[in-house]
Amino acid sequence: MVKTGMTPIMARSVKLLLSVDRFMVCLLTVVVAASLLPARGWATSWADVLAKLAITLLFFLHGAKLSRAAIIQGAGNWRLHAVTLASTYILFPAAGLAIVWLARGTVDPLLLSGLLYLTLLPSTVQSSIAFTAMARGNVAAAVCSASLSNLAGIFLTPMLVGLVMTVSGSAWVSASHSIGTIALQLLLPFLAGHLLRPLIGGFIDRNKAILLPVDRGSILLVVYSAFSAAVINGIWTRVGWVDLLVLLALSTLILGIVMAMNRLVARLVHLPREDAIVLLFCGSKKSLVSGVPMAGALFPPAHVGLIVLPLMIFHQLQLFVCAALAARFRRQEERGEALAADGSIDGTTRLPRTEGEIANAAATLGFQVPDACMPGIVANLAVLGGHAETLRGSGVGA
Amino acid sequence: MRHAIEIAAAVKAGSVTAAQVVDRCLAALETDGCRLVAVTRILADRARREAKLVDAAIADGKDPGPLAGVPYGVKDLFDIAGLPTTAGSALYANAPPAQQDAEAIRRLRAGGAILVATLNMDEFAYGFATINAHHGTTRNPHDEDRLAGGSSGGSAAVVAAGLLPFSLGSDTNGSIRVPASLTGIYGLKPTHGSLPLEGVFPFAASFDDVGPFAVSAADLQTIWDVLADDAVAVGPSAFRVGRLGGPFRENADPDQIAAIDALAPDAPIVCLPDIPRARSAAFLITAAEGGAAHRAAFAQDAMAFDPATRDRLMAGALLPRALYDEAQEFRSTFKQAIAELLADYDVLLAPAAPCIAPTIADPRILIDGAPAPARRDLGIHTQPISFTGLPALAVPLLRPGRLPLGLQLIGRPGGEPMLFRFAAELEGKGLIGASPPIGAFRGNMI
Repeated sequence: MVKTGMTPIMARSVKLLLSVDRFMVCLLTVVVAASLLPARGWATSWADVLAKLAITLLFFLHGAKLSRAAIIQGAGNWRLHAVTLASTYILFPAAGLAIVWLARGTVDPLLLSGLLYLTLLPSTVQSSIAFTAMARGNVAAAVCSASLSNLAGIFLTPMLVGLVMTVSGSAWVSASHSIGTIALQLLLPFLAGHLLRPLIGGFIDRNKAILLPVDRGSILLVVYSAFSAAVINGIWTRVGWVDLLVLLALSTLILGIVMAMNRLVARLVHLPREDAIVLLFCGSKKSLVSGVPMAGALFPPAHVGLIVLPLMIFHQLQLFVCAALAARFRRQEERGEALAADGSIDGTTRLPRTEGEIANAAATLGFQVPDACMPGIVANLAVLGGHAETLRGSGVGA
Repeated sequence: MRHAIEIAAAVKAGSVTAAQVVDRCLAALETDGCRLVAVTRILADRARREAKLVDAAIADGKDPGPLAGVPYGVKDLFDIAGLPTTAGSALYANAPPAQQDAEAIRRLRAGGAILVATLNMDEFAYGFATINAHHGTTRNPHDEDRLAGGSSGGSAAVVAAGLLPFSLGSDTNGSIRVPASLTGIYGLKPTHGSLPLEGVFPFAASFDDVGPFAVSAADLQTIWDVLADDAVAVGPSAFRVGRLGGPFRENADPDQIAAIDALAPDAPIVCLPDIPRARSAAFLITAAEGGAAHRAAFAQDAMAFDPATRDRLMAGALLPRALYDEAQEFRSTFKQAIAELLADYDVLLAPAAPCIAPTIADPRILIDGAPAPARRDLGIHTQPISFTGLPALAVPLLRPGRLPLGLQLIGRPGGEPMLFRFAAELEGKGLIGASPPIGAFRGNMI
């Protein structure tokens, strides 16, 4: 850093840029490519057909990858899964509806529809599990919760789209048409993949590295097709930098609300630390991998580009925020571990005093404080606080 | 006959058999032990088996040991082969049985003593009251409406009532000396770590010790001889005595101060520095270690704990490590300072519990003029001594017909023999001694 003469702010910026995931760079490249060289004429039909095949393939792979055993194994923790599903399919849509209603008129209605759409999506699987593992949360529960969310999403997301979204004009085709499309493009390949899992599951699990480019390539194809149609329909004359910044602000707001609520709920239902991390990460993420192909199946091709744009912004935002949080939780846990060996909670000399501090400290040590005990613990910690003051020579008794 | 050495002498002489002693003892425990809420388990079969062995040894002309045929009980936190070690908690009522006896029990058995019962305590030894949600509140034989003190309250009550000639308890911050003081008997907190802790449910390892209760200094010394590894060292013929001053002369019954002044009128008043800080540090270390030991159980079923200890233990578990370290650092400095200061003394005098036994109906005591929970603060004068690791012998002031008060005789590390001799001297002068309770409990073992 000294040699290159970078300031700390610059260094942080570079680090931040480097932390942008490579898939996001690929997505942006495809968006730029579609903007400069959109599929036109005969290529449009080919791109559409390829995109539809890609969507079918993606959901076939989703189905084949989904492990029922993981769901069954982790299903005992029903309280956690219930609050995680509620966060994904109740809290998120509610926050989305409220924000979209408040932000009406600020940006293109289709972009706002896209913002609302992303709140209806299932959680991510891979990154939820990865961040949970990084934060030393309950990985088994994260696998179950994220898988459950994706399974439910196959049915719930299209249903919620039909229930809460009103896309202007012809953007939203009739419900019967959508059900047919969903069945053909999402459900059938998903079920086929899942039913064939006994035969191909082992191959898929063993060859994740090989299948990843297929997975990612299919999404890139859908995005290219969608943005080609969007560019021809004049997306960049409708969307400017201000729109993108507004979308980023609104996405931040939604993510902030959901994460804050998840922290609060974790305390209210006394989730242990490991499970609270699962709720935070699984309950506050939205799947680009599911969202892009679903949009391709659910919305007219001309609108898909605008619809998925907020999702792409949200996707990168959630990666930034979750990576930072996971690293922070890991540091906390490592400190806790070093001290736990001798029976204490952290490196400060300050006693937990409020109910929130006490619940947090207890969660760090792996137990919950029953409500009936809280007043007694507050009183006892007050007594111990008095002894701490006396020990330091500042108490009355000293 | 209430004295252990008298019973042992009678058994050895053949004037009574160990089996007879045990049978009478078991019958008394069944009735009066339950009435005092002092006994948690009566070990009749085991006691009769051990009595048979003692009687057989005597019949064979062998010496079963200095405690031949002497029945005793232990606080409910000693391992007993084949039984769960409960530490006074319902949480461990169905725990897997201990594989073998605690080392202290093994040594007593080798000395001829016969284990007959387990005795009530504050859950996990956290308290000075023996108010136990699972077993009930142990009553003081001198006044059944009053506390026996704790946490080894059951152990003190059965000896004070004359139901057993001696018992074992544990003392972390005063859990032997406080109940000894409130029930008018002798109780020894040994030099820290000098008596075996193997097979004893831990509370706070920095201060945990086990020790005996008895009704005379001579009994206590005999039991200590059996329990301790080392032979009794010979002490000096004259004692250099000091009276602890400062906080030790405040928050005490005037009779205790008067007795200390009468026992050693010319002894200098020794003011130890930083006593309030020492007590606070002891409080913090105890809370942190005690709480840490139960973290797994909090996660499993916090509500299964005794409400009286649950919140205290959980609060202790939440203490920051840095504060615990700070308290331990202070302890090291304090111990060194005290060792230098006490180099000129053989025995220091201080009150044990700060008052007579509080009532069960209002279990509070006055500290600095304000009511404070007895469960928490009866150890105000014992806790700072535990902090130093020094041995302390609780002795009862001789005051027949009145509620008991006790003093602490504090010695140098390994100075127990000197404390026994000093206590015997005071006994000889009629200044201290156990008085049988007035009324129902006039225990007569033989």
